[in-house]
Order: sequence, then C-alpha cells, then structure tokens
Amino acid sequence: MINSLKMSFKIDITYAINSFIYNIKRLPILKDLLPGDSLYKSKRAKSFISILALILSTLRLLVFKILYFYIIYVIASYLAPKNILLAVLHVYFIFTIIGIFINNKVLTTSTKKYFSICLFNMNAKNYMKSLLWSESLINLVTHTIILYLIVKDPIVLIYTVFGFLGRIFGERLNIAHYNKYKIILTYNYPIYWTVVILGLLLVFLPKVNIIIPTSLVAIIMLIMVPIAIISYRSLNKIDNYKLMYKRLNTKITAMNSEQSKAYNRQMAVEMKEKDKVIDERKLKGKKGYDLFNTIFFERHKEILLRSAKYFAMIALIVIVVLAYLTATNQSIATTINHFLSHNIAWFVIIMYFVNRGAIITQAMFFNCDHSMLTFNFYRSPKVILNVFKTRVLTVTKVNLIPAIIIALGLPVLLYLSGGTTNIVNYITMPIFILVLCVFFSVHYLVIYYLFQPYDQSMAMKSVPYSLISLGTYLVAYYLTDFSMSTLSFTIIAIIVTFIYIILALLLVYKQAPKTFKIR
Amino acid sequence: MELQIKRLTKSFGEKEVLKDINFTFEEGKIYGLIGRNGAGKTTFFNCINEDVEIDDGEVLLKDEYGEHKLSTDDIGYVISTPTVPEFLTGKEFLTFFLEINKERITDQKTIDEYFDLVKINKEDQDKLLRDYSHGMKNKMQLLINFIASPKVLLLDEPLTSLDIVVQEEMKEVLRNMRKDHILIFSTHILELALDLCDEIVILNNKQLELIEKQNLNTKKYKNKIIACLKDENND
Repeated sequence: MINSLKMSFKIDITYAINSFIYNIKRLPILKDLLPGDSLYKSKRAKSFISILALILSTLRLLVFKILYFYIIYVIASYLAPKNILLAVLHVYFIFTIIGIFINNKVLTTSTKKYFSICLFNMNAKNYMKSLLWSESLINLVTHTIILYLIVKDPIVLIYTVFGFLGRIFGERLNIAHYNKYKIILTYNYPIYWTVVILGLLLVFLPKVNIIIPTSLVAIIMLIMVPIAIISYRSLNKIDNYKLMYKRLNTKITAMNSEQSKAYNRQMAVEMKEKDKVIDERKLKGKKGYDLFNTIFFERHKEILLRSAKYFAMIALIVIVVLAYLTATNQSIATTINHFLSHNIAWFVIIMYFVNRGAIITQAMFFNCDHSMLTFNFYRSPKVILNVFKTRVLTVTKVNLIPAIIIALGLPVLLYLSGGTTNIVNYITMPIFILVLCVFFSVHYLVIYYLFQPYDQSMAMKSVPYSLISLGTYLVAYYLTDFSMSTLSFTIIAIIVTFIYIILALLLVYKQAPKTFKIR
Repeated sequence: MELQIKRLTKSFGEKEVLKDINFTFEEGKIYGLIGRNGAGKTTFFNCINEDVEIDDGEVLLKDEYGEHKLSTDDIGYVISTPTVPEFLTGKEFLTFFLEINKERITDQKTIDEYFDLVKINKEDQDKLLRDYSHGMKNKMQLLINFIASPKVLLLDEPLTSLDIVVQEEMKEVLRNMRKDHILIFSTHILELALDLCDEIVILNNKQLELIEKQNLNTKKYKNKIIACLKDENND
C-alpha cells in the first residue's frame, strides 16, 4: 500500500512538473529561451520544480481547508451569533454526515484512476487503500488543527475522529451501493438530494436554538468505531476493485483535459433518443434549405429547446418573485422601479447570458456541419447564405422563448412597482428586449460562420472566436454603466441590429466560404 | 491453454448482437476476427474484457490451474485510438510501468531494449506523449501490453492507422508474442488478416465461425471468406 501511495505520488508530481514546463514553454519570450524537449529529462530542473510543486500543492490544500472552515464559521455566526463555537461544531458535524454519503473518493471517476489502474496496471486494492488512508488521515490532521484553532478545546477530536471513521464507513456504503445498483451513490439523485436537503435542514437547527450536544456526538462517534472497523475489514475482503475501476473509468470518461471538455460538449449536444423519429407532417410542403433546416431542428428539438425552456422558466420564477416582493415591500418596489426606468442598459448583459446561441451552434456543428463541411457544395457562397438565413430564423425562434417571458414581464414589473409617467416605456421596453434577442442570435451565428472554432472532436481551436466572445461580454458589461432613456436605447438597438444583420449577411456571403471549414 | 467461450449472448435493448456463441481459442495462435460493419466485433471484445455485462454464458480460461474465469490480469486490450497520459514523456511512462509491474514481469529488459523493440528512437523518448503521433502512441500501447504479457490479448484494429513500415514492425512484435499467448485481432482489412493471422474467424449472424483453409490457395480462401460474410445478406 505504501508503495502504491509512493508510486501514485511520483506519477502525480512528474505529471504536474511536465505540464508546468509545457505551459512555461508556450509563453512568448520563454519559448525561445528555454531548451526543447531536453528540459523534460533534466534532473536538476525537475527536482527544483518538484519542490515548488510540493509547496504549491500543500498551500492549495491548506487554502481550501481554511476556506471550508471559514464558510462553516460564517454559517455558524449567522445561525447562532451568541453561541458561534458550538454552532461551528454542529455545522461541521452535519457537513461530515452529508459528506459520508455524497463525498466519495474511492469510486469517483478520474483520469488519474484510469491511468493508474487500467493503463499502469497498479494493484487496484492497494490503490484503493492508499487513497482511502491518505485522504482520511490528511483530513483528520488538518481538520483537527484548524478546528482546534477556532474552538480552542480538545473536544474537537470527537468530531474529527467521527469524520475519519465516517469516511471509511461512507466508502464501504458507496461500494455496496455500486455493486447493487451499478451506479455510484453520488449519481443516485433521489438519495443524493434527500441527503443534501435533510442535511441542510439539520444545519439550520441552531436557528431554532437546537444544537446537537457534544455528548451525543461522542456516543455516535463511539458507535462508529466498530462500524468503521467492520467496514474496513469488508473493504479488504472485496476482490473486484480492478473490475469496478475499469468499468467506472472507461476511456471516454477518463480522457485528457481538453479531450474531456470536448467530450462534455459532445454529450451536451448529442441527438436525443426521442428526437430520432420526427413527425412527417412537419416536413410537408417544405423543400430545399428550408427542408434541410426543418429536419435539423425537429431532430434536435430536445437539445435546442431544453436550455431555452430552462432559462424561460428561471426568468418566469424571477419575475414572479420580484412581482411578489414589489407588492409586499415598498422599498424593493422603489428600487425595482428605479432600476427599470434608469438602468435599461443592464438588459444587454442579461440578454447576453440568456441567449442560447453558443449551444445551438455547437449542436449545429456536432450533428450536422462537421460532416456536411466535407462536401464542397456545402461551402459555396450561395448555399452558405441560404442555410445561414434559415438558421438565423431558427436560432431567433429558440431564443424568443425566454426573451418573450422577459419582454412581457418587465412592463408588468414596471407597472406593479409604481409605473412610469412615460407611457411609451411600456411598449419600448419589450421591443428593446426582443431586438436584443435578435441581435445576439445573429451575432452568435455570424461568429460561428466566420470563425468556426471547433475541430472534429468539438475541442475549441479558435483564439479569435474566444476573443470575440470575451469582447462581446466586455462591451455588454461596459454598457451597464450607461444611462439613457428606454426610447433612445431602443432606437439605437434597432438601428444597430438592422445594420448588423445587413453586414452579417454580406460578411457571411463574402467571407464564410473561406472561414467556414473543419479545423 | 484455451480461451473458452460458452453460450455467450449479448443484446442491447431489443437488438441481439451475440447469440449463444460457443468457441474455443487456442494458445500459440493469432486469430483474425473479421465481420461486417456493426457485426458486433467490439461488443464481443467488450464482453471478454468484462467492459459490458453479458446476458448469458461464460468466458473461461483453461490453463495449468484448470478451468477458471479470466482475472483482469489475464487479459490485455489494445484499442485503435490509444489514450495515454499526455504529460508524461515516453521514457517516464515506460519507467513507471516497469516499476509498478516489476513483480509480474519475467525476464525484464532495459528501457532502451524495449524502445528498440518498437523502434522509438532516442530523441523521441524524452518527448511528451502528447507530442507523439498516433502511430507512436499506438506503439507505446502495444509495447506495454507486450511487457505485461497477458495470456489473452485482444487487438481492436490496432494497425489500421499506422504507416506500412510501422505496420510491419508491429506485426513482428505480435508474431513474437504468439508463443504462450492467445491473440485475437479484429480488422476490416482481409489482406492484413491473411498475412498475420493463423486462423480466420468471422462474426456473422451473431455467431463465430472458423473458416478452415484446408488446401485452398490464398485467392480461393479469400473468396470463401467473402462468400461467408455475404451470407448474412441472403438470410
């Protein structure tokens, strides 16, 4: 087991050092100064960086732990301002119990596990033990020290030892669950959410003057001793760790960083089973690009509409809650009224976030364009322009789902919060929102056509695309400082959007045949 | 030593992919597994490798310890798209692998000898694996399987994307491995299978079938294999 730990640590450190050297070598000036691949074999450079890596990873661990206890402290001081220290122990105890169920280390999938067990062929049981012991002991030591520094009483040991024992029990529980249901506990959502919600309710007990007494925790801790021993013995008896790890850490879940991002993107936009059969009536009378686009839309309805519907729902909830607050609290009503009358520019950034353009273009690329682009006819200016035009309508239609809710909700909120002397605002406000919706829909599609940023596996490959996305965000953010009447803003937005659409069509027609391609 | 497949059945939902397969693979041979697209070759490998649960039947190894289920150490699986730890150099990768597996490796060679075996030269050994070409990653994958030397080695189109020189080198590595092992090699390239494999097995109509060469010359044998594969369409 110690060997496993040492080996695992050695691989980790080497991996970290090499990534560090790799990234340093990509920086503009250093790139020319540093030697080529020979740096990877230089023992001196490596031992220097390994000390640095060790210090940094220890610091990172400490920062995270301190942050964890800081959050606990903040919660405790909110729940029981007069009895903070006992409340800290209470919250820590409940968090530990939640952690026993949902914070499993042994079975969670990771690249490291795939490489260590499936590729390097490490002894899976020893690997499990080294992981379990290192995690539990580090937690025991760091938690005891930090908690002692906060509470200044050795009783903290009761709590941290409980955490240590609970960890072992939790891992056994998780493996039992996996063997029975073939999924890890964390992905069993009914159990996961029950534990989280019940746990959070218990966290709030100090608010009603109930704090779990240390004596009770001590009894629970003592009961946990035999349970942890039995759990550990039983963990030791299990023989199929390698098989479990192999099944959980399949190649695809364990891919390297950039590949796994690309894989997640693929999963997010992959065609859903229920969309595979489409209603033929929807296709009746359609032909050409319209038919092509309709088939695409119908066959990917679930992906395209899901997040738009989700955002529409959130918008609706926010509006209803704000309407309720407006009706019940005068000062909130005044704030909302002032915001809607003077800070309409904020909706540029809000609509930027609400817009689903990015995910829609990803779906288009993954399910359609990445194969269609291998045909030359698909890249001719006329085809590009026609497909682009029908797509603008599709993207706008999808984005209108949340936009309409917001467009209708704002005048209602304005009215409920005290109204406006400028009646025209009731009309310009929704128009402004809808124009923004059209603008961002066109915008995402244009930058997709002009910078097609993905490679075959959906890895992001275009720097200009990322820069323009960032630039769009910065402009939207900068606009939040602008104060102008809703009417003027709406007129400007209409003009800008109109010009942008014309420019977009021209640019796409002229440039996209060159830029719309597979990387 | 024998790899025995008994009554192996696997379905995905309504679709039955493998049905009541009974077959015995023997030691010292490279088996070429051939099947049409979607015939279930990868599923068959995944069943042997326990990557998916089988619906019925069993996969057993018959060796000096008698008949028993395959342990995870008994089996190696080389896939066509290798995944390697991209931030390790080739040399580090191999060093770690040898260190971790030192107790199971009999007759351990030096690192240089291993690299020579797959023709990876000195300057490439200190490159990060992320900068290796697809073919070189494949070589590394094959090399660690060669070193681990599992009793059964499954190879899912491992040579298809390699250039012809590397292909020849890899074929040589596989031929050297044949002794004391059972190698099952899936491919779509019939010529490759005929050149490398001792036996051709086709996966057709959810069943495995050994195509006997008898006294046929290569051309007639090839036609026989194609005829067997086409059979599926006549059902």
